[in-house]
Parts: sequence; structure tokens; C-alpha cells
Amino acid sequence: MSEAAEPSPFTPEQQHALRCVLDQIIPASSDGQMPGAGELGLVDYIEAAASKQDGLAPTIAQGLAEADRIAAGRGAARLSDLVEAERPEVLREVASAQPGFLPSLIFHTYVGYYQHPKIVLALGMETHPPFPKGFPMEQSDLALLDAVRRRPKMYREV
Amino acid sequence: MSEQPVDVLIVGAGAAGAAFAWSLAETRMNIVCLEQGGWMNPEEYPTAGVDWEMRRLGDFGMSPNTRGRKEDYPINDSESPIQISNFNAVGGSTILYAAHFPRFHPGDFKTRTLDGVGEDWPVDYATLAPYYDVNARMMGVAGLAGDPANPDHDFPLPPVPLGKVGEKLAKGFNKLGWHWWPSDSAIATREYEGRAPCINLGPCIMGCAQGAKGSSDVTYWPAAVRGGVEVRTHCRVREVTLGSNGLADGVIYYDIDGVERKQKAEIVVIACNGIGTPRLLLNSVSKQFPDGLANRSGLVGKNLMFHPYAMVNGEFDEPIEGYKGPTGCCLMSQEFYETDLSRGFVRGYTIETLRGNGPVSTALAGLGDIPWGADHHREFGSRFDRSAGMVVICEDLPEEHNSVTIDPDLVDSNGIPSPKINYRLSDNSRKMLDHSVARGTEILEAAGATGVKFQAPLLPAGWHLMGTARMGTDPTKSVVNEWGRSHDVKNLFIIDGSIFVTAAAVNPTNTIQALTLYIADTIKKNLTNLFD
Repeated sequence: MSEAAEPSPFTPEQQHALRCVLDQIIPASSDGQMPGAGELGLVDYIEAAASKQDGLAPTIAQGLAEADRIAAGRGAARLSDLVEAERPEVLREVASAQPGFLPSLIFHTYVGYYQHPKIVLALGMETHPPFPKGFPMEQSDLALLDAVRRRPKMYREV
Repeated sequence: MSEQPVDVLIVGAGAAGAAFAWSLAETRMNIVCLEQGGWMNPEEYPTAGVDWEMRRLGDFGMSPNTRGRKEDYPINDSESPIQISNFNAVGGSTILYAAHFPRFHPGDFKTRTLDGVGEDWPVDYATLAPYYDVNARMMGVAGLAGDPANPDHDFPLPPVPLGKVGEKLAKGFNKLGWHWWPSDSAIATREYEGRAPCINLGPCIMGCAQGAKGSSDVTYWPAAVRGGVEVRTHCRVREVTLGSNGLADGVIYYDIDGVERKQKAEIVVIACNGIGTPRLLLNSVSKQFPDGLANRSGLVGKNLMFHPYAMVNGEFDEPIEGYKGPTGCCLMSQEFYETDLSRGFVRGYTIETLRGNGPVSTALAGLGDIPWGADHHREFGSRFDRSAGMVVICEDLPEEHNSVTIDPDLVDSNGIPSPKINYRLSDNSRKMLDHSVARGTEILEAAGATGVKFQAPLLPAGWHLMGTARMGTDPTKSVVNEWGRSHDVKNLFIIDGSIFVTAAAVNPTNTIQALTLYIADTIKKNLTNLFD
């Protein structure tokens, strides 16, 4: 029997706004190699983090509400209806009004993004944990030490 | 679980407790070690999982105050510029250490004679040299003979690979004409004594899933247990008790279920580190010792020494594969180790280079520097796999006002009063840190790095804990004698870093263990008149 999925701490509208915000925090790269954090699907990761950390869900929800309110003041129905160039400005206004919102979200976004297999692969690493494969390394050319070897004794005798 | 009296009771199964147990096992005495942590399971170490980087912020973090492990006890270090890092388990702090394993210099035992600071030790390098050799074989130390900065000695294993990071930094040192040498490392660089060789996982500081790192749970303890030593885990000692004859007669401890128990013993050996040991002694109050057990000198808890650390990092313009290789063991420099008063401070420091970080750690280390938004990818890309640097280990001088006391309010989960750290950085340390940051910057720039940044002192770097029950021949100026026996209680021994007289400017574990082996040997040679 499959387990019932945990209910999201966010409404569908909040999930939509969150995706838009995540794409501002880490946007897609200009060369197209790296997706935006929202495009990558990190809403799921943020939801999981918010389910485990007391206070995170309401902090995010309040920030998203503030973002939509500021967007409305600029004539858009919500943040995602603003032109791309205006969205970071709105987020900076939210950060001033609600100082706890962006730092928490940035932290979890960075963690989720840089653990995501797609990103790990894009960075040229393999997606498995370090153990048990490890990393081969050659021993270095210790001829680099030649000048040091020629030095006289450096420590004091007693 | 027997409560019959034992011959030898060791409190603490870390670096010192393990070495002592192994050494004493040959006497076939009835030896028990009580450890408040448990045996670690390497399969549960972070590098076996994809979320390995994040575990550094959780259960494999550095601070007992935020780690949330049930074996931790809280430590009030809120007023110290350096916060305590320890680990309670069979293996102790060697579970988390980077395994950097240098020896003291001969002059480190004679700071009063040479430099007019601190006190001279009652033992010297020549006395400990054969014990360093034994310890190297038992722990499996990798390194390279011929270092002009240290008395020459052999290594059972070849040095850890420098990697691209090490080669770049080595060229920087060479450009400046400064000393560097491959790090002495308690890491099996080849298959050794049944342990698999290092596979360069990276974060040794979160436990070694491969078992290549020389933590004492995989080196000394298996041999000690085969030799008949009993380790009782999840047993937290509250106090050492005294018999009517003025000798220690055992301990009171809480077992895994929180039940209070007593263990009687003929000899009590404390190995709880430079914070845990004074805590235990100060909590062991009696009519004979109203100020804490074995504290007639008044020095238990005093002369706390850390190693104030600086960290200096820079960015290179090409990938340097810093996520490969033992993170804290690469190469070291002792160019500025011995005293040169023209530098503006006395004593000196060791530079130990660091390899780089994984992607999550890079992003989080750059919080503030790696912005969100349009510049994120460019800034992350300039740092990931392009950042490396060094830490600097500065010698701390013993000062009585730097101390461990008992916190008036804080207790652990068994209700045992917790320690409070009272510490301030000296002028000498500040000058040394400033000097080391400037030299570290020179080295990184000589190696081709830009964007050099530093932190000094490094806040979470309270992992070397020394001086709080120091050794000496004068009972008014020391807590234990030259072979670790309490001046006040003739069957009580202390064997961890708390007995250090001075700190040197190197990682202490090798010297803790060599000193422990020396103490154990001395005990064995004096068994017939041990309490005279």
C-alpha cells in the first residue's frame, strides 16, 4: 500500500508564486546550461523543508503575499504577471519589508539546487555519494620539494 | 553489566583513552572504559549519502550545542570568541578530526627556557620520541621523511597526494622561498593493518566511511578489546568518588537507561579532553576536595588553551578539483613556527592548506558573496572548484584567566552541571593572527589566487582543548606529575590534552597519544609501588 503524500504547506497559488520567486533567486543561466531553481522543480524541495522547519512555511507565505501585494501596486495581478525585469526589484522591496523571508528562502534554495542531480551533472561531477567510489588521485611530483630539502635545520634544539 | 571492582577504570574512549587501554591490556588487569557515546557505524557517515554536505550543519556539525546528538552535553561558550567543538563516541573527537598528525618540536617542551613564556614541560621530545614512533604505527601515519622543520623520523605510509590544489599552493610557497612539506596525516594511503586505503572522499571531518582515517575506534580500540578491555558505551560519568583512605575508589555514572550506577576501581584514569576533564573534577566535590577533586593547586580548569585559527581563502582561474582528497591534509608550512621577535609576537604558527568544497558548501560559504539573481551563476562559477586556501594554527599561551568553570545554571540531560568557557584572545594571539593572514594572502597571491578573504579568529575552531589540568613537578603549580598522576590523589591519572603545559602550534592528537603511551608505560613499570 503506498503512503499518502504529505499535504503541501502552500496553496496552489502560493506554489505558483514560489516557483516564480525561485526563478529569481537562481535564474536560468544565459547559456541555457543551468535551469532556474523554479524551472528545476525546487518548489517540492522547499515544501519538504517547510514541513520540517517550524515557522518556515508562514514566513514564506507572508513573503509571497507581500510580493503579490507589491506587484498589484505596479498594476499586475501578481508577481508572475510582471515583466521579468521588475521581478527582482519587487523581491528587494519584500526583503526590506520582511527581513526574514529572503535569507531563509535563499538558504534552502541554494541547498536544494546544488544537491539536485541535474545540477551536479552540469557541474561535471557524478551524482552518486562520494563513498564508496571515491576519487582517484595520482601522487604528485615531489621534485617541487627540492628547494625545501636543501634548507638547513629550521627547528631549535634544546 | 558487572559492578564488581575493576583494576583500572578509564573515563572516555577518545584518542587518549584508546591508546591507554591498548597499552595496559598486556597487563591482563581487569580494565573497563566508560564512554558516554557509542560505537560509530561507518555506513551512517555522511559521505555514504547524497545529502552529505548538509550533514555538516546537522548531526555531524562541529558544535555540541547545535548538533542535537543525544550523546552531546551543552557547553556555555557564549562569551568566548572561539566555540567548542568536540564529539562523544568511541573514538571521541578523532571521529570528526581531519587527521592532521604532526609532532611537537623539541622547543615546544621548553618555552620558558627558550622564550621566557609559559612553563617548561616535565618531559621532553627525546623522552616522547619512541612513543611517537609507536603511535605512528598504531594509527597509521602517512608522511615524508626529511623535513628540515622537524626532527627526522620515518613514516609507515607514503604521504597523501597533493592534488591540483597542493601543487598550486606548493608553487606559491616555492615562489616566496618559504618552507612547506606534505602533511603528516593519520590516513592510510595504502592498505594498512586490515584497513582499506584512502579513496579521497574529501570530508574526513564528518567521519571516514572508508575506514582509512586513523580514528581511535578503528586503530587502538579493536586491539584493546581483543586484549580484554571492556568498553561500556552510553555511560556518562557524573563524578569520581573518594574512599576513606583518600584514594579515588571509583565513579558514579548513568547508564544508557539513565539509571545511576557505581563502578568501583583501584585506579581511575580520566581521558575526557580539556573541557570534559576539568568539568568532571570540578563536579567531584567532597569534604577533602571542596573545590573539586585533585584541585589543591587551584589550577583545575585554569590555563585553558585553544589554538586560535585564521582561515584564508582565494579563488583560482581554473578548476582545481578541491573536492577530491582529504580535506584538511594536504601540505603544511612551518616557515613562521619558531619565535622571531621581529615579527612582533612570541612563539609562532603552522599553516595547513585546505582543499576545496563541494557545490552546496561553496554556495553556502558564499552567502552574501554569491548573490541571488542575475549575477548568481557567474559568481558561483568563479568559486566552485576554484576556491582553496589554508588555516593557520597559532600557539596559544597559558593564561590563568582563560578557564573552564561550572556553569551555575546549565545542566546536561542527566542533570550533571555543564561547563562554562571563560576565554579571551591575548594580544600576542591577535598579532600572530594578523601576521598569519598577511602571509597567507601572500602565499595565495603567489600561487595565482585572487579575491583573497579571511576570518580570524575562526569562531567554531575550539577543537584543540588543552591546559586545564596541567602537568608539572611542583604540586603548587600543576595538577598532575610528570607521568600524569594527580599530586593530590595517588591513584588518579589524567591523560588527555588537559595535562598539556603549553600548546605548541600543531594539532595535539599525536602528542596526546604519545604522552599517554609514555604514562601507560610508566604506570606499568611502577605497578608495585604505584601509589607511593
